[in-house]
Amino acid sequence: MQVYLPIAELSVNLFFLVGIGGAVGFLSGLFGVGGGFLLTPLLIFSGVPAPVAVASVTGQVVAASTSGALAHYRRGAIDLHLALYLVLSGVLGAFGGVATFALLRDAGQLDLVISLGFLVLLGSVGVLMLVESTRAILKQRKGVVVRERLPNQHNWIHGLPMRVRFKKSRLYISVLPVLIIGLFIGFVGSLLGVGGGFIMVPALVYLLRVPGNVVIGTSLAQVVAMMAATTILHAVQSQSVDILLAFCLMVGGTAGAQFGASAGKYLRGEQLRGLLALLVLAVAIRFGLSLVLAPADVFSMAVTGAAQ
Amino acid sequence: MSRLLALLACLLVFAAPAQAERLVSQVSNETIEITSSFAGERMNFFGTIIPDAGSSDKFVTGPFHVVVVVLGPTQNRVARKMSNVLGIWLNTEQVEFNNFPSYFHVLSSGRLTDITDVTTLTTNLILPESHTLAASGSDWWKGAVFGRELVRLMTEQGLFGVQENGVNFPADNFYSARLTLPSNAPPGPYIALTYVFKNGEIIARKSEGFAVRKIGFERFLAQSAVQQPFFYGLVCVILALFTGWLGGVLFRR
Repeated sequence: MQVYLPIAELSVNLFFLVGIGGAVGFLSGLFGVGGGFLLTPLLIFSGVPAPVAVASVTGQVVAASTSGALAHYRRGAIDLHLALYLVLSGVLGAFGGVATFALLRDAGQLDLVISLGFLVLLGSVGVLMLVESTRAILKQRKGVVVRERLPNQHNWIHGLPMRVRFKKSRLYISVLPVLIIGLFIGFVGSLLGVGGGFIMVPALVYLLRVPGNVVIGTSLAQVVAMMAATTILHAVQSQSVDILLAFCLMVGGTAGAQFGASAGKYLRGEQLRGLLALLVLAVAIRFGLSLVLAPADVFSMAVTGAAQ
Repeated sequence: MSRLLALLACLLVFAAPAQAERLVSQVSNETIEITSSFAGERMNFFGTIIPDAGSSDKFVTGPFHVVVVVLGPTQNRVARKMSNVLGIWLNTEQVEFNNFPSYFHVLSSGRLTDITDVTTLTTNLILPESHTLAASGSDWWKGAVFGRELVRLMTEQGLFGVQENGVNFPADNFYSARLTLPSNAPPGPYIALTYVFKNGEIIARKSEGFAVRKIGFERFLAQSAVQQPFFYGLVCVILALFTGWLGGVLFRR
């Protein structure tokens, strides 16, 4: 069944859209990530214009993260105070990201920056995660008891000025690294159409030493609020949010996420992280190859505006 | 578009007199409506060549050739070229084409070069390449190279095309042509220009307009996205929050 997307101005098979939404939703439920980093490239490869793909996936990420964020909220696993700081700086970053997005699109370098951004981010995060999870798996095989790093250990980042007390996270740290993390993720997320959960979680754990029980919830809450703001920014700035496209992806995504979450119970944490690392690396390599390999067609075209 | 219309108007004024034939033509659809299940639309162009009003001839004598040119709304487009810089492929050159047709199909009753000479084809903008020459900027050579590639890309997307057997003559002076408008046809005003050739000369011409437009819900969405972008974004966010919440409620075990 074909459905006409009014903003993308092309007609796509409805089941294909709901299907990739569902497949990515399954993976995002399995690994506890938003799935934007998979969905945006998939849409671009299937012919949706890159600006429309990035802007519409932003809306989908909101839906994908909402049910998770609500579940964590009910369990009291969100540090709202910390999330507020992250969201405020994140929205500021998103303003910059959306403006840069428009500039790059006009200059014809948006695809390049998207590819480079995905390559660098996913590549480094993927390698780090793979090393960490392999080490954990190997240690467990040998029967070594893995001693978790204590979350309350301080490092130099905490000692910066402007300290704020975050009760739920049991932290009394400088607000500067929090704001910088938020700003960076807001910028990158709006530019690449990803929620940034895969950067946020490691940053909270390793840089801020946020305790494990509030990390995922806080990250999800931050993703929901920041991506909601980004969706509106994209709608206002570039008018490339396709609500029909986003809705099809949302429906598939939220359903798939539930199945993914129940499938995730059969795998252990480090195995999950190892698999996610491989997936992230695969996407990074795909983008890397597209930069290095000679393209099938060196010419491309784009519409820059309606005629006067 | 305006340049094209001006050209057309001039041609109509100066080329009309002293001809014995007249063209009566019709388009099957005056509006093509894009609905949620829009997957392209088939159109018919047909007409008859008859003696002109003041002419003493009772009937027309051929052989005639008919060329139908269908033009979509114009847009500003760029063609870009990638090249390898330090091992990375990136867009390094681009040429802008202002007021370039977003859709261009030529249907004819024979090979265009057999029907008439290249000069006539180019001055009447019947060849796809003639549009790139009209639309590109200062650098003529670069414009020509990038224009050829732009035409190729547009052709690959089904937006440009030349069908040299697209027009049939069921009778000596009656023609019909069929065109399938693809699902990615851009919405906007379209114009169909019909030329009748005899011995390589244009002896009659006519233009008809038709519109491709979104209707109903699609029209509403596309308009709100442009006219009320903030509320459009807000509605999208609320929809997302609701879908996420509903998903959590429905599947909670």
